[in-house]
Amino acid sequence: MAPPKTYRSETVILSYTPLDEADLLVTMYTKDRGKVRAVGKGARRSTSKLVGHLEPLTVVNMSLINGRSMDIISQAEVIQSFSSLKEDLTGISKGLYLAEMIDGFGSENSPSPHLYQLMIDTLTVLQADSSLEMPLRFFEFHLLQVSGLMPELYFCVECRNELEPDAHQFSPNVGGTLCLDCSPEDAHLRPLSLRALKVLRLIERSGILEASKLNISANLSGELKSLLSTTVKYWLGKEIHSNSFLERLHNETLPKV
Amino acid sequence: MTQENISGAAPSLARLVQELNRLPGIGPKSAQRLAYYIIRLPDDEAYAIADAVTSVKQNIVFCDECQNLTDTSPCQVCSDPRRDRSIICVVEDPLDVLAMERTRSFRGLYHVLHGVISPINGIGPDQLRLKELFTRLGRLEVEEMVVATNPTLEGEATAMYIRRHQGREDLRITHLARGLPVGGSLEYTDETTLTRAFQGRQEI
Ligand SMILES: [Zn+2]
Ligand SMILES: [Zn+2]
Repeated sequence: MAPPKTYRSETVILSYTPLDEADLLVTMYTKDRGKVRAVGKGARRSTSKLVGHLEPLTVVNMSLINGRSMDIISQAEVIQSFSSLKEDLTGISKGLYLAEMIDGFGSENSPSPHLYQLMIDTLTVLQADSSLEMPLRFFEFHLLQVSGLMPELYFCVECRNELEPDAHQFSPNVGGTLCLDCSPEDAHLRPLSLRALKVLRLIERSGILEASKLNISANLSGELKSLLSTTVKYWLGKEIHSNSFLERLHNETLPKV
Repeated sequence: MTQENISGAAPSLARLVQELNRLPGIGPKSAQRLAYYIIRLPDDEAYAIADAVTSVKQNIVFCDECQNLTDTSPCQVCSDPRRDRSIICVVEDPLDVLAMERTRSFRGLYHVLHGVISPINGIGPDQLRLKELFTRLGRLEVEEMVVATNPTLEGEATAMYIRRHQGREDLRITHLARGLPVGGSLEYTDETTLTRAFQGRQEI
């Protein structure tokens, strides 16, 4: 019998579910191997050396052993715990929203260091100011891009004409922006304002720090949120659960009119 | 488990194996082992197991007060006049009440949430016994609420949510001391650690 194969990976913890006794089944996204699910034996016991190292939204250096059906976590050392992000309910909720999307789009055996870095960068920016909405929009947009699903922003996806500086339409399932003259039957069409299109173009070519500094109106922010989350949901083919708690918190903190 | 794994077994035996296999932590092999064990038991002992299952399903209810599982509502703790009514301890799970009671260091009231806010699993405040907690806080004369959710990310998020929404300005809100490691679980914490954590509870 071949000896068990051990490997090390830098990884961000996405979620876990309790298994038998005090074990945890941990879902994580590794820098060099994509999504991995592995078992933390006895990880819920206060005396376990793994305890506290496997909480969601924690970056760890992990040693794993290739198991027969599932890999086993043998060691975990915290590199970044994002502890100030976790002192705040909004910060936690936004972080978990990212984690759920990474879980949905990331795949096993298909590493994407870009996706990994996008997660780390977005958590870092949110940790500095969890009230920001733009980091989430940046994340959603670049998640689509990294997954090869980037919406077209410069030409009408139907007639291929260059888009005039004007109001347009947008559809996730035909690949992005359409001019007002085109309306293919199967498209999930929705209006797209010129200002929203400009912000999307800026998100596409800028870094997360620059994009996060953008100060836009509540209306425009709402349009972008709805457009990008609809697109993400369309490609994922299911609801993003953590979005509803996030929305709930968001509505609670809105000033009462 | 699939039908072919149990072909050759009598249908009633196969059914027992299948039912046992549904239990958490019981794989097909263990289910088979348990089923054969039950068959070899004297009749009265086997019927006692079946009877205990039936009885627990017929008799267990949620306590109207603390939401813990009980045979009669209000439960023993809620109806005990010797309990300290100035302090209430909020826990995730009925097993956490048992863990706290084993320490004998807490003599107040409980409130069981039956879970934690878990956004990724679609479990929000409405799926927990939070409304009941907030109503109770308005009615009871408690001075202190110990939020004893597990020191996990979701446990902490739930504690933050409770603090933000409990609605009483005069209430002292504490959580267990950080003797409990992050990611730990009350259920698997030894009594000494849990007692120490309880005694060192801090305002949040
Ligand atoms: Zn067109
Ligand atoms: Zn009770």
